[in-house]
Amino acid sequence: MANEEARWVAQASEGDAAAFRRLVDSHASALFRVCARITNDKALAEDAVQEAFFNAYRHLRDFDGRAAFSTWLHRIAVNAALEQVRKRSGRGETELPEGEEADDLLATSVEAIPGPDRRAQSAEIRRDIETELARMSTIERTAFVLRHHEGQSLEEISAVLSLSVNASKQAIFRAVRKLRGALEPVG
Amino acid sequence: MNTIRDDDLILYHYRDGLDDKRIVEIEDALFASADLRERYASIEHALALADALPTPVPDADFNARLWRQLEPRLFAKTNAAKRTSLRDSLQALHAWLSPPRLAFAAACVLALALGIGFYAGRQSAPVPAIAQSAADAAAVRVLDAYVAEHLRATEGVLLTASNSDSADLLDGNRQLAASLVEANRLYALAAARAGNTALADFLRQLEPVLISLANPSQSAPVQPSEGLRDYLRTTDLLFQVRATQARLDRGGERRT
Repeated sequence: MANEEARWVAQASEGDAAAFRRLVDSHASALFRVCARITNDKALAEDAVQEAFFNAYRHLRDFDGRAAFSTWLHRIAVNAALEQVRKRSGRGETELPEGEEADDLLATSVEAIPGPDRRAQSAEIRRDIETELARMSTIERTAFVLRHHEGQSLEEISAVLSLSVNASKQAIFRAVRKLRGALEPVG
Repeated sequence: MNTIRDDDLILYHYRDGLDDKRIVEIEDALFASADLRERYASIEHALALADALPTPVPDADFNARLWRQLEPRLFAKTNAAKRTSLRDSLQALHAWLSPPRLAFAAACVLALALGIGFYAGRQSAPVPAIAQSAADAAAVRVLDAYVAEHLRATEGVLLTASNSDSADLLDGNRQLAASLVEANRLYALAAARAGNTALADFLRQLEPVLISLANPSQSAPVQPSEGLRDYLRTTDLLFQVRATQARLDRGGERRT
């Protein structure tokens, strides 16, 4: 499969549309999954995947095979997803909240935690978890998605998000705290 | 006193960001403390619920729809690229570069090679994913630092060209712009290889500007500033140069 994919990449970089389509078909679902988790929006995820493939095709000759093609493509897709979120919010939302700003965010999520009566059913807990994921900042959600769902290391996450390893850790900690907040009654 | 925080337990869960000694300490503490086990179970429960959420799956028509939208964009791009002779022109300019400029470019190649070579050196034998990602991140750090410095020089060239009418100054500026062309191309290539296509695109957008500054019209060798002033006024290029440079600087500071 890896050899076959390397051949497709080589052919596609020479302008072979059929070869590039094979690459699209092989990776589209995985890219959609990570983009949907980051954007929390299927339409934005579709746009991000399209932009990712468009950018990848334009830079295919630059891909030198040092990393796996999927890793390279994945990184482009994460950036495309973040760009879609930026466009949606209409401002640079990917700055990491720190200090008091981060505390405020946590306070907000704690205040919004529903009471114990709402937790009787697992469907409601799931909704709470989804709510908390949606309420996370883009950086928190992206760092969490990359670490938890995509299995990326803190080093990889910090490289993709242009953050220090420590800032990536803090983003993940805040994300997990928010998830736990959806499960535990306050006080 | 138990010094293991919930944050440590999160890292322990992922076996990431902790050294072996700390992992053993946490294992021992979990074995010894029911309270800690309870806290850890609570974290694992929350993470398990995140796993239980439905995996986003595209609809059945997604791949076909994606290709329908992608294909015309890709082929429009390819045809446009074939029509233009820009690349040929750039090749000619490349040949035109003089030895001092090439020496500067070689220095840039060497600098990049040191950064990326560190990473590449780890590729000669099978390496753990963590070591590879650390090398990858180190290569990105090196690239960011060099590109930020390159953008600082580019900003200076743009400002001098647009603000100065001194023939001597403009001639020196022209040489500096020429020396930046090849470095700009190398950095664009390195950024694209690192998957940072936005930075690569931005640097490629800078290239024709640097080339025109390096090779002003022979008929008006000392008065390129009006056109450039107009260009800088009507585009946000200078702002983008500063913003990108600041972003790269911030990234570097955060990593150190």
